[in-house]
Amino acid sequence: MLELDSVSKRYRAGNYGVREVSLALTGGVVGLLGPNGAGKSTLMQMIATITRPTAGRILWRGEDLAKNPDALRARLGYLPQDFGVYDNLTPEEFLGYIAALKGVRDRARIGAMLEAVNLHSVARRPIGGFSGGMKQRVGIAQALINDPDLVIVDEPTAGLDPEERVRFRDMLAEIGLGKLVILSTHIVSDVESIATQIAVMREGRVIALAAPEELLAQTECARLEAAYLRLMS
Amino acid sequence: MRERIAAIALADARIRFRRTSTVVVFLLLSAIAYVWVPAPSTGRALMRIGGARALYNSAAIAMATAILGTLFIGIAGFYVVSNAVRRDAQSRVGAIIAATPLRSGEYIAGKFLGNVLFLTTFFFGFMLVSMAMVIVRGEAPLEPWTFVVQYLLLAPPPILFVSALAILFECVPWLSGRFGDVAYFFLFLMSMGITTAAVVAGGMTWASYFDPSGLSAVTAQNMAMLHTQAIAIGAGPFDPHKPPIVYPGLSIDAAFVAQRLAAMLLIPLPLLVLARVSFHRFDPVRVRVAAKAERRWLGRLNVLLKPLTRALLRMPSARSLPLAAVADAQLTLASAPWIAIAIVAAAAARNRPFAFLAMAIAIADIATRDVRANTIAMLYAAPRLREHFVAWKAMSAAIIALAFVITYPSLATLAGAFFTVAAAVALPSPKAFIVLFLSFWYVVVNDKGATPALDFGGFYGKAPPSVALTYAAIGSAMLAIAALTRRR
Repeated sequence: MLELDSVSKRYRAGNYGVREVSLALTGGVVGLLGPNGAGKSTLMQMIATITRPTAGRILWRGEDLAKNPDALRARLGYLPQDFGVYDNLTPEEFLGYIAALKGVRDRARIGAMLEAVNLHSVARRPIGGFSGGMKQRVGIAQALINDPDLVIVDEPTAGLDPEERVRFRDMLAEIGLGKLVILSTHIVSDVESIATQIAVMREGRVIALAAPEELLAQTECARLEAAYLRLMS
Repeated sequence: MRERIAAIALADARIRFRRTSTVVVFLLLSAIAYVWVPAPSTGRALMRIGGARALYNSAAIAMATAILGTLFIGIAGFYVVSNAVRRDAQSRVGAIIAATPLRSGEYIAGKFLGNVLFLTTFFFGFMLVSMAMVIVRGEAPLEPWTFVVQYLLLAPPPILFVSALAILFECVPWLSGRFGDVAYFFLFLMSMGITTAAVVAGGMTWASYFDPSGLSAVTAQNMAMLHTQAIAIGAGPFDPHKPPIVYPGLSIDAAFVAQRLAAMLLIPLPLLVLARVSFHRFDPVRVRVAAKAERRWLGRLNVLLKPLTRALLRMPSARSLPLAAVADAQLTLASAPWIAIAIVAAAAARNRPFAFLAMAIAIADIATRDVRANTIAMLYAAPRLREHFVAWKAMSAAIIALAFVITYPSLATLAGAFFTVAAAVALPSPKAFIVLFLSFWYVVVNDKGATPALDFGGFYGKAPPSVALTYAAIGSAMLAIAALTRRR
């Protein structure tokens, strides 16, 4: 489904954001773990066609995204890190806007998504008055509005309270049953229970890619957090 | 494709029309329409032809207000709409938009359409208010169709031109900051002045094809129709001994319509193509490079001048509000050392209007930079600053302002500097301050002291002390209102 072939992102100053990453992902929830500055967001931005790799190729269902980014964009749900919303719009209007840009014609999707993220009761209130967690839920709803085949979520649980975090994790796990979800975080517990595969990044490179239980076996650790710390050290 | 373009334009319209500032600008525009059409009993009139006033019929009021409206759109309109792309970048909605199938050309077209929609609504509202002025001043019956024709002849080119240029300025890195804001102001006035002068002095009618404001084409047609060059638009004194002239309105001849169509279509299209080429599509790398490019020349200058202002970083311990203001003023100079050079240049130039202009640009963002830099919460945690924020920033800006005008010691100059500082601190954004200040400054400089009440900075030495005191009082009122608003 998604294939990364020696993908690198090199900046003008000569430093690398991402270096020679090769992955082949077919489905399920892939947890992308790594410390701040490891290159997780840059890698996700490249997959989401926001920025181009300086070397290598990203293929979606065989299509090179550098040549044909629209092959993915119509089927993509993307929630960037620190994303924003228009404060003067209501969630209903904002979702309607993103739905139009994504070419979603079924207006009922907007109501369904508002229901799914538990915002239906405030659907016609300006987003400006929302808490951080409520805004995050608007972001999640916009990412899922087009019923995407690939969902990319960058640090999605920041700002959510514990109850919302669990709810959101469950939602991603459910989506991951039939689709590909890439979830970036530096909080190990966010991916522990739902990831079918875990990729660990350090200094722009993917240093491990395995199912959680394999990672535990490889590092001889009982918990994922300990395994992650061992890989980092 | 059409749905996506419409969605962008509609979202922009919703965002803009729900802002309080939009209502304020519209009320301001309505008030201007009222002031622009004074009662003839005051000795002033909207339009003068050879010293006589034009009778207040629909044609005269429609043409004159439409011309004034195009100037307003040309100056203020640009600043009002030149935040469409920036809003998406700053709110980070841009990253979400960039991951959709939306094409960059569609995005630019949608933003352009959003600007056109917004400015057209404003112009339409302004036309209705101007129509009301025919009823208020009542010298002839209201003819709505005359209004529609005169406005249609004049309004579309500046609306399309400003809408396209605003997008271009946002997409070109080095034009998207304060340099672009100031540069646009002079560019617009210069282009309007040059085309009109070319038509009036040299009979170069081709220049009208490149004049979206329509001033040159209107001047040429009115001169031919009224057989005089002495035509003035805008509230001003007339000769009461001369009988009023019935102005018939602009005639729809083929050449005039061709000029307006050319100005409407030929200029905006290339601007949009350039904007499309320069658009970064929210690629973080390109946005970062763009931000660097924006700062490049100023940044290099600042780095070169750093040794001059490094000593200023030894700030006093802010045991009181004035000392905190001194520290803030030092920070201004340390972060933008070009201001130090501008102060020296203003003193050497011995030119008061120039000193005020440089001062205004230097102090424009002193009161708002903390919100932009996200340091406001930290500042509020310091003693006194939250409660006395307006006073603190006014003192800080006043220190910088004083440095610019210290070589012109007079009551009028000090009062003018205080008025400017108050406006910079009280207005909600540097952009709003820059556009209002530049517009007012331009009017004053062109008035050359003929109207002493306008001379807020004592530029021409003809204003009595009461004018200086009035501006000082207005400044005090602005600061008081700002302090009250912020306290809430």
